[in-house]
Amino acid sequence: MSAEYSCLVVEDSPMMRQLLVLALSRVKNLRVTEADNGVDGLRKLAGGTFDIILTDINMPIMDGLKLVKRVRSDPAHKDTPIIVITTEGSSEDRQRALQLGANAYITKPIQAPQVIAKVKELLKIDA
Amino acid sequence: MTEKKSRGGRRSEQPPAAADSASDLKTQRAEFVHTFFKKGAEFTEELVKENERLRKNAGELEAENAKLRTQLAKDKAMRELLEKIDQLENEKQNLLSSMHEQEAVTNRFSNRFSEIEAELENFATLYVASYQLHSTLRLSTVLRHLKELLLQLVGARSLAFYVVDDAKRSLVAVATEGVDARNVGPVALTESGGASAQATSVSVGPSAASTIERVFLTGVAQVIEGPVAGSDPAIPAACVPMRIEDDIVGVIVVFELLAQKKEFVPVDFELFKLLAAHAATALVAAQLYAKAGSRLPSLESLKDATSPSESETER
Repeated sequence: MSAEYSCLVVEDSPMMRQLLVLALSRVKNLRVTEADNGVDGLRKLAGGTFDIILTDINMPIMDGLKLVKRVRSDPAHKDTPIIVITTEGSSEDRQRALQLGANAYITKPIQAPQVIAKVKELLKIDA
Repeated sequence: MTEKKSRGGRRSEQPPAAADSASDLKTQRAEFVHTFFKKGAEFTEELVKENERLRKNAGELEAENAKLRTQLAKDKAMRELLEKIDQLENEKQNLLSSMHEQEAVTNRFSNRFSEIEAELENFATLYVASYQLHSTLRLSTVLRHLKELLLQLVGARSLAFYVVDDAKRSLVAVATEGVDARNVGPVALTESGGASAQATSVSVGPSAASTIERVFLTGVAQVIEGPVAGSDPAIPAACVPMRIEDDIVGVIVVFELLAQKKEFVPVDFELFKLLAAHAATALVAAQLYAKAGSRLPSLESLKDATSPSESETER
């Protein structure tokens, strides 16, 4: 099976990353690449083409907001859909991420169906 | 005519009395004929009138007949339409019944699909929890994973891990999140178990301390079922004993949940069971590993542990 879509998951928590990867494995023809912070995410972006990016906001080295800003300023990825993962108490971060160009957000604790639905919606994949 | 003339000829030869009588007869005949024709004319007139009346009646009857025929045709068409409506109604009922059956089947499949989806998600959560819990032997990482399990998977806002001290006199918080560790003091253990429990802390009040102590002493988890918002804020949302086989070595306490997490869901209870059985094991294993200078057991010691004589001894 060759992947039609590719997704970059940027998350510092191995547990959350594993949960996201497990959830996204249920989206047909989606290849998932993992990165554990913003810098690692940019490195992975430079080395490949991605159809969608999921990123946590609070991360060491480079946080999700900086990552969104950097991605949007890069002509190669300026149109790539970005989903940010936030906690319920961080509405300011959420607003900031959307202002910087994120397309959607998911609130923790994450629910697999919610993640799958949001990714499918942004990739325009029919259910 | 010729005959009449001949008769008249004979009459003129008759006497005057006879002539009067003949004249009378003639008059009578004339009157009779006149009356006869008059009656005939009247009769004919009556017949004509009667005929006209009958024609009129016949016309009316024909019109009525045509009307009745039309009515009959309409009634027949109506009957046919009613039959058609009945037939269509039956077909509609059959189709509706069939549709309801199909809907029921679809709903069953849909519900089953949702159940399987939920189960799958639960398994994924439990798999990730179990995997992460035992993926390391570093104590700090085990504690971080334990916290993350409760923060990210359960949706806890504040929590603490209490472990019993060596003298078994109090429970000491070894890790906290969402509350200031300095404010989470030890929970004193008493003989009576709970009623006189005291906490030397600001964040953990007497009710919470009493609950934590009771959970430790009884080994029975206390988790709020239903909406957490409406429950007593002095009581932690969840207190789960940590076990190593039959020994209880501590208590996991979730003080509060995130605002969007209204209540615990079934997978949370499964996660608590998993943590009750595995958290202490992971913590103790990490502690022993640290005490051993982060050295893994030698191959020989593993062989000894699995040798038949060792197994026999265990039995």
